[in-house]
Amino acid sequence: MKEFAVFWGCTIQTRFPFIEKSTRIVLESFKLPYRDIDGFTCCPEKSLVNNIDHGAFVVTAARNVALVDELDYDLVSPCTGCVSNLATVKGELKANPREKAEVNKLLKEVGREFKGTSKLQHLVPFFHDTVGVHAIKQKIKKDFSGMRIGIHYGCHMIRPSHALRNDDPLEPKKFDTLISALGAQSLQFMTKMMCCGQGLDRIDEHDRALHFARIKLKELKSLGCDAMVLCCPSCFLQFDNNQFLMEKEGEKFGIPVIYFTELLGLAMGYKPEELGMDLHRVDCTPFVKKWEALSTRPPREDAIEDGLNAPVDL
Amino acid sequence: MLEATLNFKLLEQCSKCGACFSICPSCMHIPGYDPRAVIQDILDGNHDKWLSSRHIWQCLECHHCLEICYQHYGFENAMTALRTIAAKKGIHPTQVKRGWEMFVKTSRLGEPALPARKKLGLPEPKASGAEEFKKLFALLKAAREKQENPEGKGSE
Ligand code: SF4
Ligand code: SF4
Repeated sequence: MKEFAVFWGCTIQTRFPFIEKSTRIVLESFKLPYRDIDGFTCCPEKSLVNNIDHGAFVVTAARNVALVDELDYDLVSPCTGCVSNLATVKGELKANPREKAEVNKLLKEVGREFKGTSKLQHLVPFFHDTVGVHAIKQKIKKDFSGMRIGIHYGCHMIRPSHALRNDDPLEPKKFDTLISALGAQSLQFMTKMMCCGQGLDRIDEHDRALHFARIKLKELKSLGCDAMVLCCPSCFLQFDNNQFLMEKEGEKFGIPVIYFTELLGLAMGYKPEELGMDLHRVDCTPFVKKWEALSTRPPREDAIEDGLNAPVDL
Repeated sequence: MLEATLNFKLLEQCSKCGACFSICPSCMHIPGYDPRAVIQDILDGNHDKWLSSRHIWQCLECHHCLEICYQHYGFENAMTALRTIAAKKGIHPTQVKRGWEMFVKTSRLGEPALPARKKLGLPEPKASGAEEFKKLFALLKAAREKQENPEGKGSE
């Protein structure tokens, strides 16, 4: 496997360092050749930077990609936004040689060159494609059979598809495959592909952001969902933090929000606190308790066996 | 140099289509959000009236419209172009402005949470590229000015 740099992004390092923790734990246990490198900046965040200055958006992303190109690494990120933004710019420059030349003229003055040779992947498709379901299954100590999971893909894990090319952009499968490989049931629900709506918080429309979160949480609650699983810090902010704020106002959903690497870590035998899950706003204990209760139940085969061997009362 | 622009030929087709309206989360859940009206106004030369509207910022950039669009265009491109024009005129939500300023100043949208990292046993964060980024950003601005003012006669 080719070495890869991890692009942590601003949100994880600023607000959710525990996501970095569980990601590192999982990468280590799989002995994956990941590297931390100097020099990254914000990816940059599209809705803030691109709306104000497309040129700044392009050169900043191109410079970040140039850093990995130079080292002949690939790039993997646990943030959907970062990968999507970097890949969008990579795609734009590859399709547009004149623009690429313009950008490289600027980059040259700071000693860099955008080539676009490195592969840019989000962690979930990376685990699916590069690590593989087989390798994952071998690492599982205790699976999630009996647990009902609502996956939230996060728009930018899979879109824009012309730049990311990693799954069906409207009916993706890979995250589902991974969750099923961990033994859980991945619920199919109406609002599954709906955008989290966190962007509304960034334009000073907090109530509307809550409204978007509420729609999905309500549906998941009605389906008896044990946890929402996702892999994007913005979506996490939306469903963990904003759900907590609604709970404080008396609107309780009780849907724990679990990062993909946390779920994987649990299955591999790590404790919730080791993975930093005690730092979530919405309590994850009900999920863990139910899971433990399910797994201390004797296997179904035993019950049948016991039934067969029981004395017959005629 | 490197500007977002409107594509009128594609927008003409949009005005006869509207397919993405049915998949757009903002169209579904935000009353009054309807890029079809915006596009019609752009085509009629009245894009100005949307520049101060909240609606152009309510596009979540989820790219659903882009994916189902037979032109691979998407409402969002029109909304992005309008946001860019509005931002140039200084009309944008406060948080967008704040985020942009922090980005230009620090090259990031926040600094690593050091005490929490320590508690979690995370390694020291790697050096950021802030200095190089600042240089690059200055170069971009200079290149633009040169393009607008090739003779070097005064700049803004
Ligand atoms: S990108 Fe914007 S316009 Fe397009 S579907 Fe998403 S919210 Fe709607
Ligand atoms: S963006 Fe595409 S799908 Fe939407 S109205 Fe225009 S042509 Fe139709």
